[in-house]
Amino acid sequence: MQVKETDLPGIGRKFILETKEKGRVIVIVHDNGTREMYVPDPKDPDERLSVGTFTDDEARKLAGIIGGMAYKPKALENIDIEIDDLVIEWHRIDPASSWIGKTIGELKVRQLTGVSVIAVVEKEKKNIVPGPDYKFVSDSVLVVAGERQHIKLFKELLAAK
Amino acid sequence: MDAVVLEIGFALVLIASVGLIAERFRFSVIPFYIIVGMLMGPHVPHMGILDFRFLESYEFIEFMGRLGVLFLLFYLGLEFSVSRLLKSGKSIVAGGAFYVGLNFVSGLLLGWMLGFPLKETMVVCGIMTSSSTAIVAKVLVDLKRTANPETEIIMGMIMFDDLFIAIHMSFLSGLVLSGATSVGAIAKTSVFALGFILLFIAAGRRFMKYIDKSLDIKSSELFLLTVAALLFVTAGLSETVHVAEAIGALLIGLVLADSVHGKRIEHMIVPFRDFFGAMFFFSFGLSIDPMSLGGAVGAAFIGVLLTIAANFISGRIAGRIAGVSPKASTNIGFTLVSRGEFSIIMASIGKAGGLLPVLQSFAVVYVLLLAVLGPLLTKESKNIYMFFKFIGDRFRRVPQEKN
Repeated sequence: MQVKETDLPGIGRKFILETKEKGRVIVIVHDNGTREMYVPDPKDPDERLSVGTFTDDEARKLAGIIGGMAYKPKALENIDIEIDDLVIEWHRIDPASSWIGKTIGELKVRQLTGVSVIAVVEKEKKNIVPGPDYKFVSDSVLVVAGERQHIKLFKELLAAK
Repeated sequence: MDAVVLEIGFALVLIASVGLIAERFRFSVIPFYIIVGMLMGPHVPHMGILDFRFLESYEFIEFMGRLGVLFLLFYLGLEFSVSRLLKSGKSIVAGGAFYVGLNFVSGLLLGWMLGFPLKETMVVCGIMTSSSTAIVAKVLVDLKRTANPETEIIMGMIMFDDLFIAIHMSFLSGLVLSGATSVGAIAKTSVFALGFILLFIAAGRRFMKYIDKSLDIKSSELFLLTVAALLFVTAGLSETVHVAEAIGALLIGLVLADSVHGKRIEHMIVPFRDFFGAMFFFSFGLSIDPMSLGGAVGAAFIGVLLTIAANFISGRIAGRIAGVSPKASTNIGFTLVSRGEFSIIMASIGKAGGLLPVLQSFAVVYVLLLAVLGPLLTKESKNIYMFFKFIGDRFRRVPQEKN
């Protein structure tokens, strides 16, 4: 997919996305945080049809949904999505895991595997981008990102006793 | 002295009320602030506590208005970026040059028709060549045209116009405010002002590293105070070396625009610009006697017609250079017609320099007409284009039928 970016001084930035099926989507990111989405008007090449206007919060939610990140795994142990070489996966820490009670820093997750923990969803609370001091607890879901071979190392580390 | 706070309170009630009304009818707020200021003043009858003459608070309101100009220009500087303008490409620079050129010539023409002296004519050129960035951006967003191909061109041309505003303001302040009378003295102050500006920008670029570092302040309170200190000291210092304080504010804005903190400053400064900017328009209105407007109506009408014509032509030229359709080119010209904040600032330079008072009345009527007509023309540009195309086609078809 081709993405063309241009500045709209005083308004924000314009992104033109050419999709595979010859479609075109235009996204305007306003300086005040509002996002707008447009498609060309099939009846008039000079006009654009508004698809929707989103606040900053809404835009992030929408991005998550389109990117597949808002999809919460329920029964599944892991789900993955792939963006170029980057893989994002969900992993559950089971109650018998050796990781429980240890911190990210202690386990050297990134040094040993190259994978970053981008979020930990516990029963009650969510930790976005937990620091090295974060202590793993039972029954939480880890959202991790890394390249395919790193994710493999990560799985081995998570399964290690 | 006791009534000052209450009077400013009344002023704010008036400003906020007309603002809400304008918003309701989707008009630009700027002319409304000016009109409500104009309707108030020493000639208004007063009843006890309800005193709308603003006798005691006039000086304070005027001072807040002065700060408004500083914030408006500081923001203009922050939004502007030389590298961005250069990146925008040849077609925008060429289109922008046509736009500024044609509008400037229409200003000269009007000044000549009215028999104005040189200084007044130069102020008129400034009033007529300064598009309102605020109105244009708002109208484009309201009409959902931000994704249209011509919008890039419009905003690029507006940035080119902003460059003109900066240069013309420094020229005007040399011409009008320095009190110089001979050609030599005027040239000297103008060259000095230009040298000061270039030196300031060069120094800003040279020391950007240190500026970035010293503004690396976590506390938003201290960050605000530091930026405000920079703004006021630069504006004040410029005034002492005979460069208008507004130019100083613009300069520090230009320098900080290239800093890594540019966006943060922009966000922080917007409420100040809005508050003191509204005070500026209100105080500008207060200084005008509504009875004096009558004399300027004819001139303003001619000015409006000249501006619409100049914009239509330069829009078509700019659109053709950039390779968009004639219909989109019509949009360019009509969208840029709106006049507002910068035209009023140009007129206020004339006021500060003690030029003919008719300039202010002219600016008010002219801005009032174009701030209302501009968005309307923008909205209806498609229909106007269709109308002209229809007439054009009929004219063209007639001789063909004879053959």
